[in-house]
Amino acid sequence: MTGKIDLNTMVAKVLCPDIVFEGIMTILTRFDTGKCRQFLSLMACLFTLCLLWPGTAMAHRVNVFAWVEGDTVHTESKFSGGRLVNGGEVRVYDLKGNELLSGKTNAQGEFSFKIPQKTAMKIVLQAGMGHRGEWTIPLSEIDPQQSASEPSASQEEQKKTSETETVKPSVDLDQLRHALEQSLDKRLSPVLKRLAEAQDKGPTFRDILGGIGYILGLLGLAAYMHFRRRSRDLEAEKKGR
Amino acid sequence: MACLVGDAALLLPNKKRDIMHISEGVLSGPVLISGIVLAATGTAIGLKKLNYDRIPRAAILSAAFFVASLIHVPIGPSSVHLILNGIVGLILGWGAFPVILVALTLQAVFFQFGGITTLGVNTVIMAFPAVLCYYLFGRLVGKGPRIALPAAFLCGSLSVFLAGILVGLALTFTEENFLKAAYLVVMAHIPVMIIEGIITAFCVLFLKKVQPEMLPGKIP
Repeated sequence: MTGKIDLNTMVAKVLCPDIVFEGIMTILTRFDTGKCRQFLSLMACLFTLCLLWPGTAMAHRVNVFAWVEGDTVHTESKFSGGRLVNGGEVRVYDLKGNELLSGKTNAQGEFSFKIPQKTAMKIVLQAGMGHRGEWTIPLSEIDPQQSASEPSASQEEQKKTSETETVKPSVDLDQLRHALEQSLDKRLSPVLKRLAEAQDKGPTFRDILGGIGYILGLLGLAAYMHFRRRSRDLEAEKKGR
Repeated sequence: MACLVGDAALLLPNKKRDIMHISEGVLSGPVLISGIVLAATGTAIGLKKLNYDRIPRAAILSAAFFVASLIHVPIGPSSVHLILNGIVGLILGWGAFPVILVALTLQAVFFQFGGITTLGVNTVIMAFPAVLCYYLFGRLVGKGPRIALPAAFLCGSLSVFLAGILVGLALTFTEENFLKAAYLVVMAHIPVMIIEGIITAFCVLFLKKVQPEMLPGKIP
């Protein structure tokens, strides 16, 4: 996913800036009568170079994502754009703000730990220099039994009364529930991961083009104002004659 | 389990803070207001000085500034991006204010870098060093290459350095210790300073050959 550059991103990163700048250059040469054309082509080259810069990722924001699997919490940290956080500091707090534990992400941006105690947890990632991400794990995710037992309390009582008749169904049920939770955790974790990834895509190419488009629009507006003023001046001159 | 998926959807990525673009809700009211006032003044002066012939130039530099923030220099676990305020200041002088304001507005809207309320402060942080560098190095850049190239390099790196100092200053009035904040920001941007110095020197060298009237110093 990261590290390798597939064809699509190659095209997006290398060709498109060229196309954009070529376009801007052509428009601008109309205004500046070819004066700063060479300067602009230099800028275009520069940008292509910069975008080719090895390791360049559109990383800006940082995200941490955590999921529970059995008694272990896995976390994964990424800059937006997909670059993994290597050696970022992960701190785990309970909701009162007490620090439970801390650690560092490995080269894959992952950090896993055993659940220290059964509370809701806030996982804070410090990727240095003010880059900070947070993820909260609610209690229901860490201890599904606890939150599940409350509404089904009356059911349990019912079971207890019927226990004399049937052969220990509650134990089987608990085991079943546990197994179910585990397999669901396992199955859902990639889905949750995908979901977290989908939530934050860095600036897309559309955003970049949009921004440049706005700047060109402003340029057009300035040109319009200028020429309107000039034509008005010319008209006034004619009338004066 | 269903609630689990729901939770994941609700828990949107939390607060992010970028070092050069100060986000919403970090600074105190007085800092924000003085930032807006200063930025408005600078922009007014800049627009006055930006005559029609220089507007295409300003637009291309604004586009460059807008895109430059996406070019990252990876260092350690964090990453910082190019700013390019040195070259913008050198070519446009006071025009750097409106140019940077436009680019920052678009960055805030499209990339969620910084924020709308902090636009004023962020504009001052990046445009003020640009104008200062214009006055410091503008004349030197017009001279022979022995003086012009080091001057251009210094212009590129000093404008980033000063921006870092200003970030520290803005944070001081709110929460953090000035020296610590400024130190952190400046340290993080040392690679950017070097790269921007080289880029600025490169641009100046090129402009001197092809388009010397674009540089200040020739025309006082």
